[in-house]
Amino acid sequence: MSELTTYQHHYEAFGLNILSDMLLPELPVHAGTDLSPLAVHIAASNHEDWPPLVANEHSTPSLQMALGDWRLELEGIGWFRAYAGETLSYERWDDSVSDRDVRTFLVTSGLAALLIQRGALVLQGTTVVRDGQAVMLLGAPASGKSTLACCLQQEGWKLLSSELSVMNEQGLVLPGLQQLKLWHDSAASLGLDWAQMPLVRRGLKRYALLPPEAEVSSQAAPLEMIYIISRRDNRKDAQESDIQTRRLERQAVALLRLRNNAYQPRVYRGMDQEANLFLQASALARRVPIYSLQLSDGVKPMQQALEKVDLLAPSSLEAKPAVELDASAEAQEEAR
Amino acid sequence: MSTQDSGYWYLASYPKSGNTWCRVFITELQRLAGEETPEELNLNRDVETGAIASSRLWLDDQLGINSCDLSFAELDPLRGRAGESAWLFAEGERFHKVHDAFQSLDSRGRPVVSTTGCLGVVYILRHPEDVAVSLSHFFSWPLESCVNFLLDPSAALVPSERHGGHQVRQHMGRWDQHVRSWVDQQQLPVLVMRYEDMLVKGPETFLTLTQFLGLPDDPSLVNQALLNTSIESLQKLEDQVGGFAEKPKGAERFFRSGRSGEGAQQLTLEQRQRLAEGLPAVMRRFDYEGVDKA
Repeated sequence: MSELTTYQHHYEAFGLNILSDMLLPELPVHAGTDLSPLAVHIAASNHEDWPPLVANEHSTPSLQMALGDWRLELEGIGWFRAYAGETLSYERWDDSVSDRDVRTFLVTSGLAALLIQRGALVLQGTTVVRDGQAVMLLGAPASGKSTLACCLQQEGWKLLSSELSVMNEQGLVLPGLQQLKLWHDSAASLGLDWAQMPLVRRGLKRYALLPPEAEVSSQAAPLEMIYIISRRDNRKDAQESDIQTRRLERQAVALLRLRNNAYQPRVYRGMDQEANLFLQASALARRVPIYSLQLSDGVKPMQQALEKVDLLAPSSLEAKPAVELDASAEAQEEAR
Repeated sequence: MSTQDSGYWYLASYPKSGNTWCRVFITELQRLAGEETPEELNLNRDVETGAIASSRLWLDDQLGINSCDLSFAELDPLRGRAGESAWLFAEGERFHKVHDAFQSLDSRGRPVVSTTGCLGVVYILRHPEDVAVSLSHFFSWPLESCVNFLLDPSAALVPSERHGGHQVRQHMGRWDQHVRSWVDQQQLPVLVMRYEDMLVKGPETFLTLTQFLGLPDDPSLVNQALLNTSIESLQKLEDQVGGFAEKPKGAERFFRSGRSGEGAQQLTLEQRQRLAEGLPAVMRRFDYEGVDKA
């Protein structure tokens, strides 16, 4: 039996050839038949057959880690293992667990751990492209990255990678996950027919949006700038429809903000990759301008503001009132 | 994580029951005792405002996933284990606000907060009639809705599943269920403090608190900290910082009146009767008078 028969699905994401025994519609399909040395295998496996692991002090009850080995146990969902940057294994908790349940964690935490094992800088963010130029939107979960990306798609931008963003050695952002996850309120405000959209997982009021081919990009693109997103503080006086931004001039601050937006910093520590994280984040902070971006709370004001600004020309949206406001956030970052 | 120096404490309560006052008092006492910055207390700088046990950032870090990909029902059984390594608690604050009940309907009998490394819990409770009035100002809700909330076995903070947020659902349940979940649990030492005793018998009540927590217990220090954190002082401090970070958008101010007995004045007879009938055993147990139907 050939390898392609065992692994029925073939994808190309984050610069990897991914061979999987499970359908992963979030990932771009590999067009050719070339199996380069960067092949990664995703397959079901019995977790009781996995060798014992001596977990280090960065491990938690859910997350067990050692050099080159990452294990995730999610009660009610399953067991996951990323090993040596080459293999991603999973086992369902029981037969009631759907493929969708498994792949939700497989293509996010699982692939991220595997990429970290390979020495990649994995950032918690969504990257969009226009005219061959990439802009990365970083921020904590629920900060509004997907909603903003969806608004930008409506303005003609294309989705390159959602949730995780990874670059190659040439500084190009690589195509990655190409599914946006939208909460019910965002989907409704964006005018999407949420009743027809698949749920991210059963029991969540969160929908999976797989944009049509015309709205995604399969070409790696040079990173022009990074925006670190936060929601506007309602206590401050500000125009509801404004988007405010400010460049993080100080390298140390920019580096810390990048470090804090790495995907799961604990995982870097747990697999002895923290030095690598700092080195790569530091190089990125020197090379690419980084801006903080304060979003309006609400989809309509966000859409209105985006009509007036250009994310590829951040000087056009630098607002004076943001300076003082963000300076305090900057000071807090420095104090961390 | 078992020594007095490295462990942490929970300050647990139903919302609007005196939790913030208690945390401000502890901060001020430490400042007066020279354990903290000598400058005057700044509410927005010195008082921890987030509830770490229900923080998404904390849970994401501990679970190794994006917790938005789990439902609240799936998260609750995992939350208590999230702190077993006590990593963040060890590095951070020692006194943690919690509004969750000790267990939730979905937590399969497990606590929703970590108990590893926890030295104990101070449980603060307040007459439910007064809680209803305070909730009404805080949430800008009608009193009737607040009475319903106190009597709702599925009551929770952040209950919407339709948008993300930085905190996960904090299940509280009915007011008496919340009280019993903490007061009767056997896993952590517990000190029960009635808000009314904090008001009327302040020096004695807060001295007991400081001794339970292993804080400086010189009566003159305790009395000074109490004086500095009186409702008038807190209102002044709130004005100084231009609004306390815990104040919701619609509320006029966070530190409003602090009095007890407002519920008896402002609730209707029928609302008071509903509370007394819905929460009888725990109200009696903690000497809270209600209005029985004639």
